[in-house]
Amino acid sequence: MSQGDLLHVVTADDISDRRRLFGRAIVWGSALVVALVAALQTAQHMGYADFGFQTWRPVLYAYIFWAACLCWSQVLIRGEHGKRTLFVLPAALFVVSLTVFPLLFGLVIAFSNWNLSSPLGRQFNGLDNVRQMWADPFYWNALRNMVWYTLAILVEYVIAFALALLLNSEIRARKFFRVAFLLPLMLSPVAVSWMIGKSMLEIRFGPVARFARWLGWDNPSFFGSPEVARFTIMLLDAWTFIPFMMIMILAGLQAIPKELTEAAKVDGAGPWKSFWEVTFPLMLPVSITAILIRIIFKLKLADIIINLTAGGPGGATDSVTSFIFREYRDRSNVGYGTLLAMVYLVIIIIAMTILMKVADRFARPRT
Amino acid sequence: MKVNHYEYLMRAGATRRAVLKGAASMAAVAAASTGTLGALTRHASAQDNLRAEILKIPGVGKGSPTDADWQKVGEMCLGATKASVAEGEFAGVELTFMGLNNQNLHNFLFRGFLKPWEAYTGAKINWIDLAQADYNARLQQSIATGTVDFDILEMGAPFEGDTASKGLLDEMPDWVAKQIDSDDLVGYLKPPVGTWEGKTYRVNIDGDCHTFAYRKDYLTDPAISGATGVTEMPTTWQQVNEWTKKIKGQKDPLTGLDAYGFIDPLKGWGGFGFYFLEDRATAYAKHPDDKAWLFDADTMKPRVNNPAFVQAIQDVMDLIAAGAYPSDQINADPGTTAFQQFLAGTGGALTWWGDVGSMARTSDTSVVGDVAAFSILPGSDRVYNSKTGEWETPDGGNFAPNMAYIGWGVYVTSRVSGDEKKRKAAWSAAAHLGGKDLSLWTVAYPSGFQPYRQSHFNYDEWEAAGYDRAYIENYLGSNADSYNHPNAAIEPRIPGIFQYYSVAEDELAKGFAGQYKSAQETADAIAAAWEKITDQIGRESQIKLYKASLGL
Repeated sequence: MSQGDLLHVVTADDISDRRRLFGRAIVWGSALVVALVAALQTAQHMGYADFGFQTWRPVLYAYIFWAACLCWSQVLIRGEHGKRTLFVLPAALFVVSLTVFPLLFGLVIAFSNWNLSSPLGRQFNGLDNVRQMWADPFYWNALRNMVWYTLAILVEYVIAFALALLLNSEIRARKFFRVAFLLPLMLSPVAVSWMIGKSMLEIRFGPVARFARWLGWDNPSFFGSPEVARFTIMLLDAWTFIPFMMIMILAGLQAIPKELTEAAKVDGAGPWKSFWEVTFPLMLPVSITAILIRIIFKLKLADIIINLTAGGPGGATDSVTSFIFREYRDRSNVGYGTLLAMVYLVIIIIAMTILMKVADRFARPRT
Repeated sequence: MKVNHYEYLMRAGATRRAVLKGAASMAAVAAASTGTLGALTRHASAQDNLRAEILKIPGVGKGSPTDADWQKVGEMCLGATKASVAEGEFAGVELTFMGLNNQNLHNFLFRGFLKPWEAYTGAKINWIDLAQADYNARLQQSIATGTVDFDILEMGAPFEGDTASKGLLDEMPDWVAKQIDSDDLVGYLKPPVGTWEGKTYRVNIDGDCHTFAYRKDYLTDPAISGATGVTEMPTTWQQVNEWTKKIKGQKDPLTGLDAYGFIDPLKGWGGFGFYFLEDRATAYAKHPDDKAWLFDADTMKPRVNNPAFVQAIQDVMDLIAAGAYPSDQINADPGTTAFQQFLAGTGGALTWWGDVGSMARTSDTSVVGDVAAFSILPGSDRVYNSKTGEWETPDGGNFAPNMAYIGWGVYVTSRVSGDEKKRKAAWSAAAHLGGKDLSLWTVAYPSGFQPYRQSHFNYDEWEAAGYDRAYIENYLGSNADSYNHPNAAIEPRIPGIFQYYSVAEDELAKGFAGQYKSAQETADAIAAAWEKITDQIGRESQIKLYKASLGL
């Protein structure tokens, strides 16, 4: 036992071999019960025999029994150390159960042909869904749209930074503006799509459309052509989430010691130079965190699109999520929709890992 | 009115309008049997009083009804329930009701109607409200995952293939059929609709067909009629399309904004959007000698990419190319065309369910109440014969009203089958909502439902309620003519029908946005997706059910 551990262990354990053996026995015994119940249930499911199981709950109960035994065995085998493990183990098991099992089940579904109306239910179909995805121009189109949507974050970042600088300076009614600029973030994107997208941008009576007509745009259309529709969606999403980046950058700005900018001023740096050479580099870690979180938000973009354009016109505004939503909901194509989601998950994990590596390099203070 | 009576009257030389002018369809049946076209003499009774009284709540032209009005109507129509259920008989029973919340109608009304019922019977109802676009997905998910969590269900007949065929519904007891007077239903809603393998499952609360609604002022406005040369509403799609193109550049007489002719919804609506392309296509595709029109009945091979449907798609594409629609039409779903456009004064004509007629007069959001007029769906100069693969040009054109959705009904799920008290409670609630008198109110005021009983076509009742006689004859006439049309296009009640529709509207939206090269390519994409669905669900069983639903 290391010195560090001794500090936290109140009593020294004297654990007998029999107790250890019993601890191991209950873990393996209960695991055997899980395996047995699962095997029986699978056999019944495959139609080999009937054991009278109505649902899959017996397997669940067996799993819970195993989990309880595992927790108990920690104390039996490792004594005081085991008790410490107990603080975390149940929660960890719970989280793992809620992520690993659905993920495994999701993988099974992803390689199935499952139409909700089919009387035959779910059927394994190998790589058919992958082939379909490969040849599906609308999925690739949705992925391409995601690149555009994600790139828009750079513009959002510039605006958010500018607003944060503004709110960080000594302006009148600063507190009021801070709250006012935060308001869009407090709105649900669904509300934004209805209030702004469907009401204010309504082409006949919507105030924005009236204003556009007054400016001389005869037939204002905000979702008519693919480019304009995509731009409008970007705009609505940006309006909702710029405050989020802004508040993070503002927090970062306030953490910068005043001495630094004052010293730069004394050294004769103008406002631009002091921003570019002092403030911006110091803000890089915060900026990158804000951008990364924003990218994660953006990759989930769906609600505004589903409400406003349903991906239209012709898939021009589709995000991957909204495309999968329609594939699943309208076409009841559960298997294919799940595969698309899985592929998207893999793409996101790879892209985010690369991005974080790159960001890590950038975020290091310049020397 | 029965089709044979209708045909008899037509042969006798009566015009369609004269038949309907003479009396309600029931009266017309009576008239047909005596050989005269007289109005039905009605006997004053307590029943008449009740019907007249409920129609005064809140009164036509007095704004949209509120929850208090719905409760009042529910209370007044409780007579049939009191006759079959003792007070407090269902104390302790809890039921779950799943239905829609469109335009704050449907479930919102049911809540009000059933509140007095709950107070009297002692039962309690929990509600699951769904948006129309979410309905199919929610229902299918419940079925597929074995999680049906509702006892009473508001559902359209097309879903009977998904539910009744899987044993999820409870058979309707005889006393319910008597209480709701099933014989009063219009012909096309009688069995086989509402039944599956000989058993009845459905309490009707709606009758569905798409009709053609148009603005009379577009025919009389000097500038518009001067530009179009049209003073009588066109009756074929060919004419409607020409008229629509010529209206471009004119100003709407009501709003002063740009005028538009026929407005198609170009965006999907959870599968319901495909009905609107069907409205155009049935005229080309529904041949009088062939009951099938969506699929070949023997093979389930889609007809959606045959020349008839392609023509319908092409018509819409032509109008898009001509710039004949409002600028954001590509983003307008059917709800938008009806409520934000037509009723609010944009567009000279549209196809919709019949309830747009009563809404035009009774809804607060409508500005077209005085200028709206109705007819059956436009026809076509030529019709495609799928059997010969040739276009034919019948005398007088081909007309085929689209019985889109066959109406909402209330169904009871088999969750209650084992508990007789609960079962009776569920059916009693369903029967209350489908009651003869209550239904008169729902079809006269904004509810999402349109006339579906022969007794709904008694114009005197509508006139007494405050409707303009000519308007109501025109509006109800378009419904009655559609229901009774000998070449009506009835949709198949097969499993997964809304998947077919959803895929179709999704592909159509892509085609309209120019993602496919042509109408044919768009139609081929739909057909390919339909073939896939058929294979997924099972071709053989689909063929069997499709034939059964067509009565073949």
